[in-house]
Amino acid sequence: MMSQKRKPMIISIVLILACLGYLAFTNFGENLVYFYTPSEVVALSPEYYGKKVRVAGMVVKESVKIVPNSLKMTFQLSDGQQTIPVYYEGAPPDLFKEGQGAVVEGHWDANRQFHSKMIMAKHSEDYMPLEMKQAGVNLPKKDLIKTLNVGAD
Amino acid sequence: MLEFGHFAVMTALVLAMVGIATPWIGLSTRNGVWVSVGRQAVLLNFCLISIGMAGMIYSFVTQDYSVKYVFATSNSKLSLFYKVAGLWGGHEGSLLLWAWVLSLFCALAVMIHWKTQPAVMPYLISIESTLLTGFLLLILFLSNPFERTPFTPPDGKDLNPLLQDPAMVIHPPMLYLGYVGLSIPYCFAMAALFSGRLSEEWIKTTQRWTLFAWLALTTGILMGGYWAYYELGWGGYWGWDPVENASFMPWLIATAFLHSVMVQETRKMFLVWNLFLIILAFSLSLIGTFLVRSGVLSSVHSFATDPGRGLFILGFLTFMLCLSFGMLILRSSKLKSKVVMESLLSREAIFLYNNLFFVTAFVIVFIGTLYPLFIEVMKFQKVSVGAPYYNAVFMPVAWGLILLMGIGPYIPWRKCSIAAIKDILTVPFAIGFCALPLLYVMGMRDMYALAALSVTFFTGTAIVRDYLQLTKMWADRYQLKKSSAFLKVLRQNPRKTAGILTHVGVLVMTIGVVCSTLFQAEKIQAMKPSESVMLNDYRFKLIQIYPVTGSNWSGHEGFFEVYDKNNKLVASLRPQKRLYEVSQTPTTEAAIHQIYTGHLFVTIPDVSPDASWVRVRALHNPLVLWVWYGGAIMGLGVLMNIFRGVIFSLGKKKVVVSPPVAPSVEGAPPLGAVG
Repeated sequence: MMSQKRKPMIISIVLILACLGYLAFTNFGENLVYFYTPSEVVALSPEYYGKKVRVAGMVVKESVKIVPNSLKMTFQLSDGQQTIPVYYEGAPPDLFKEGQGAVVEGHWDANRQFHSKMIMAKHSEDYMPLEMKQAGVNLPKKDLIKTLNVGAD
Repeated sequence: MLEFGHFAVMTALVLAMVGIATPWIGLSTRNGVWVSVGRQAVLLNFCLISIGMAGMIYSFVTQDYSVKYVFATSNSKLSLFYKVAGLWGGHEGSLLLWAWVLSLFCALAVMIHWKTQPAVMPYLISIESTLLTGFLLLILFLSNPFERTPFTPPDGKDLNPLLQDPAMVIHPPMLYLGYVGLSIPYCFAMAALFSGRLSEEWIKTTQRWTLFAWLALTTGILMGGYWAYYELGWGGYWGWDPVENASFMPWLIATAFLHSVMVQETRKMFLVWNLFLIILAFSLSLIGTFLVRSGVLSSVHSFATDPGRGLFILGFLTFMLCLSFGMLILRSSKLKSKVVMESLLSREAIFLYNNLFFVTAFVIVFIGTLYPLFIEVMKFQKVSVGAPYYNAVFMPVAWGLILLMGIGPYIPWRKCSIAAIKDILTVPFAIGFCALPLLYVMGMRDMYALAALSVTFFTGTAIVRDYLQLTKMWADRYQLKKSSAFLKVLRQNPRKTAGILTHVGVLVMTIGVVCSTLFQAEKIQAMKPSESVMLNDYRFKLIQIYPVTGSNWSGHEGFFEVYDKNNKLVASLRPQKRLYEVSQTPTTEAAIHQIYTGHLFVTIPDVSPDASWVRVRALHNPLVLWVWYGGAIMGLGVLMNIFRGVIFSLGKKKVVVSPPVAPSVEGAPPLGAVG
């Protein structure tokens, strides 16, 4: 008697959850964006060309070249070992600066160029991607502690 | 002064520990004096931490840069307002503010409920003191704002320019009020678990606390959205950033809780579930603090990246979680509800679905927020979950919730006949469906937007239908005019009136979100003076670029004129690119012109070195203000709910002589009768 009454409720709950679970599952995979270092990007195999990825690195000093009166600019992104050329189109964020960390989102192509329309710069002034630290780049000790957890976005 | 404050906070830590222990001694020795000692400890703690706060503010105002924290978040060029706000401009001060709010609420709760809830007090004092001890330990030993440097720097490093904004000054305290406000119902719930008085009394007592916490949390989140909207210059108010999610998760669960408690009040069901929800909601507040403060989620908000603190908060959190959920599991056998759900067509069933949807929404956000952490630990790979995931999955849940909003309040408890259901739902469904082709003809093609607006119409109609019907009924019965009958209907059930007003706010917000997202027009391009850019029907013309300076910044300003399609001047806009001199931080200041309830929005994110051209970002966000108007209506509804006893009795006194049956729950029956 009681289970009779509960049946439609349980069925409907399972149905709703199944639908939402399906939605979540199908959408989750395709919206995952992976982070790489410039070294990893350089080593990407051709099937990854054109796929959306994020790259974290330092903007090489004196590498930013702005194309006047356009949205285009180019710069070099480095992790201390490898340096990749980034072709960017758009308006860079406030904290984008030479010699500072940045995360660029875009794709790597067969011409060994990285094309991006989105740059994310860190809030913190003493930001340095985690990978830089692993690469043995010298940092003052105080900064090392602060950068332990940084590196994503 | 500062050392005095520091000493006061140290004393507070000792007293907080006293506050943990004495109530238990009082309970085991059955001696009320011990509990009174706990009460004094709680009240004194508020005074002591206030002295600590005063000491910090004094250092900020007197520009004492030998204090490390003042040095890091303040500067002599700041106005007094931002000097004081510098207190929560960084990690250490934010925690002190957290602790202060906690001590304030705890003292208030003890004073308000001391007489009416004597049986709860020992537990309340002890648990609140445990929380306070945790935070004070963190403040004094791992992130001490009172710390001094051996030398005195001439000037401070400046408050982060992005935080130099009125909305941002109020946003963090608001969130903390919400987070900490949830601790009161949580403590009452824990007290119920410990003492075994597991009736719904704790829910009735803490109803206003929960509503207040919810109001503060909602305001905080919306303010954060508004700040992001114009200060960050990306023209959006919600980006599914991990830190935004961290404040959204407790909100979702607190909202579920606010709904499901009604079932327990009326039908004595969902006993375990409500305890679970409030414990989860407060735990999520702590997790939110943990996520933001430990820096594990690297996002624009995390300004502390010190693993030691993270470890402490994680340990503290684990302790609180084990304690709370452990107690719940121990007691759950006592909490079997004797009432069973009778029908799928009943209000309690709708509440069940409401909770199902809220919790699912929470799980969706939770997975998206924590999955990257999980992957990093497991695979040493870094990923991020993009906003499209949240949008695609969260939106259907939101429609479900809006749909339920149009059914739940109008369907009776226990069970409802098919005929009654038809009567309630036919008109709203018809209108909801008719809206679909209409909107399609109007040019909406996005499936998600169509679905969202269709359910919004459904629920809007359901609300109107219900009030029309009730008004007519009262008008007929008492031979009243329609208008006075309507007022009578509103007064008849203040709690419903307030609740429905909040629902109306949600509908308004939904329309704002859908339209501002769907019809948003955006252009990014490089422009020289006298060039134009077209956006929907508006033409943005750059007139000139010139240098400007402020008290602690310098930069460039672009002067734009906006024309409509008849070439009539609509607005002059002056966006700026600033460089804050002390910290050498650039910021982009948006210029906004309100048009109807939408915005024309321009920023100049990049000015060329010779200022001959700029990169321009122009946006037209139609109906975007509806998002915050909706929020304001929601807030109004909740305020009305909190003060419903006062508001609704005002007018009533003229009509009826007997005191209104104010749903005041503070004066619950004496404890002995219940336990």
